[in-house]
Amino acid sequence: MIEAEGLSKRYGSTVAVNGLSFSVRPGVVTGFLGPNGSGKSTTMRMIMGLDHPDAGGVSIDGQRYHDLRWPLREVGALLEAKALHPGRSAYNHLLSMAQSNSIPRSRVDEVLAMVGLTAVAKRKAGKFSLGMGQRLGIASALLGDPGVLLFDEPINGLDPEGILWVRTLLKSLAAEGRTILVSSHLMSEMALTATDLVVIGRGELIADTTVADFIASNTEATMLVRSPDLAGLSAAIQAIGGDVRPGEGDSLLVTKVGAAAIGDAALAAGISIHELRELQASLEEVFMDLTSDAVDFHGTTGATVTP
Amino acid sequence: MSAIATPLAPLDQGRAGFRQSLVAEWTKFRSVRSTWVSLSILIVAAIGLAALVTALQANHWKTGTLQDRFNFDPLRYSQAGHFVNQFVVGVLGVLIVSAEYTTGSIRTTLAATPRRLTVLLAKGTVLTAILFLLSEAVAFISFLLSEAILKGAGGMLLAPGTTIRGQISAAHAPYLTLSSPGAAAALFRSGLFLVLLALVAFGIAWIIRNTTGSISLFVGILLVLPLILQLLPSSFAQPIERYLPINLGTAMVATSTRHNDFAGTLLSPWAASAVMLLYALILVGIGAWMLNRRDA
Repeated sequence: MIEAEGLSKRYGSTVAVNGLSFSVRPGVVTGFLGPNGSGKSTTMRMIMGLDHPDAGGVSIDGQRYHDLRWPLREVGALLEAKALHPGRSAYNHLLSMAQSNSIPRSRVDEVLAMVGLTAVAKRKAGKFSLGMGQRLGIASALLGDPGVLLFDEPINGLDPEGILWVRTLLKSLAAEGRTILVSSHLMSEMALTATDLVVIGRGELIADTTVADFIASNTEATMLVRSPDLAGLSAAIQAIGGDVRPGEGDSLLVTKVGAAAIGDAALAAGISIHELRELQASLEEVFMDLTSDAVDFHGTTGATVTP
Repeated sequence: MSAIATPLAPLDQGRAGFRQSLVAEWTKFRSVRSTWVSLSILIVAAIGLAALVTALQANHWKTGTLQDRFNFDPLRYSQAGHFVNQFVVGVLGVLIVSAEYTTGSIRTTLAATPRRLTVLLAKGTVLTAILFLLSEAVAFISFLLSEAILKGAGGMLLAPGTTIRGQISAAHAPYLTLSSPGAAAALFRSGLFLVLLALVAFGIAWIIRNTTGSISLFVGILLVLPLILQLLPSSFAQPIERYLPINLGTAMVATSTRHNDFAGTLLSPWAASAVMLLYALILVGIGAWMLNRRDA
């Protein structure tokens, strides 16, 4: 169980995390979702006591990370794939971690075998590919057989086989009753692995819910309607209480009123309609919609995220 | 079946403390190549330069002026490796810390041992212990080698109670033994100087955290500061110069009999040792304070 309460952190004048409160329960995979730069990594560093919060706090099973007696046996983390010395072998990297928490040496061989790195264990970790580095990071997270696991963007750099392996691993770790927090900027990935969701944007909480509820409560039926007289149609729809946004080409996106009401309003106004259908919002679109205001760094193409 | 091969037996007692951190830091220290490169350079430079400088000075005795002979200091020649090794131990003291920051492995380290001073103490202990053993060993070995060279060249023992003046007209350069007055203590301080210098670098690295910056500052204090002082009026510079690490090193390696020659410009050998120790403690102390305060 991870509980954050009013967690806040600023770097100079930049607010990285602001008044963030959420909880992560054991037994399921919790997705920690937000655009790049939204404060996910900062939050994870604060959970692990690496960065000091300016206000608020976070506890792991009721204890501050700093007070854990055997931290690696209680919390495992994949913070950055390569939080290691590139000149040190994978084996020695894991061995020094094991020694720091009185974890038997045999355990190092076990986790290396689990992630499939036994053959390259004596090679310098700096020579590893991104995927191998990620596997080593996962091995170090699992080293202490911890009840709480934090994974920061674990599928980065993995091939499809590796991605599938991580998904299966995360679910089976959760099924054993562990608390799993997985950060990602990919909603689609979370839709496949996570049960719960903590969504943040610009360091603030957007949602702390389940994936199912998140979709249900945020997917508002949107109607797409095409017409040669968009101005007239727009006025007619607004007159019956609909919200209208311009769509692509000669189309409008309408919320709050249904297909029947739009059709009737168009008929009454004498405007012809060329297309009228309901748009199915994907989880990805919901996420984009929700966080678009909270994205700090838009692309430079000038395109906005929402239609 | 568990996703994690076999469950780990829980530990009910103790905590991830100094003892665990010490073993882990030793593993980290011995498992990177820079450690072994540095330590090899340290040994080769100490013994190689001792032999070279002593042999050349012994040879020069025959043709040198009386002033050259008067300045003849066999113990100092045996410690000529310091000119290289002060930088070697500096780099080692910096890297043991800065490598963690530049590679990001500090986050792994502090996640494993969240009590940060424990990490600093463990790293400091590994650095101090290894360098103490090695520096003392090479200080004495270099000395024995140098004196053997002088003796082999036909020199006479510089008898206790006599100074170089007494042998100034001898045919060959005189030599010392470990029982020569002040020699053993000077050699002990010679090794100690390298250890304290490494701790100065260690403290700087906790403050600066970045390898290039830390080494630049270290070299600046050692080499650039003396040059700047030379540009200042001597009435201003002279009282300060004796407190420069490089001059403290010279003072620490002096035997008490030789020390008379430097009277007035250097601190006494043990006072110099105490000042070096103070520098190391202050810098490591500031580093420790910043480590606790800052984000990793």
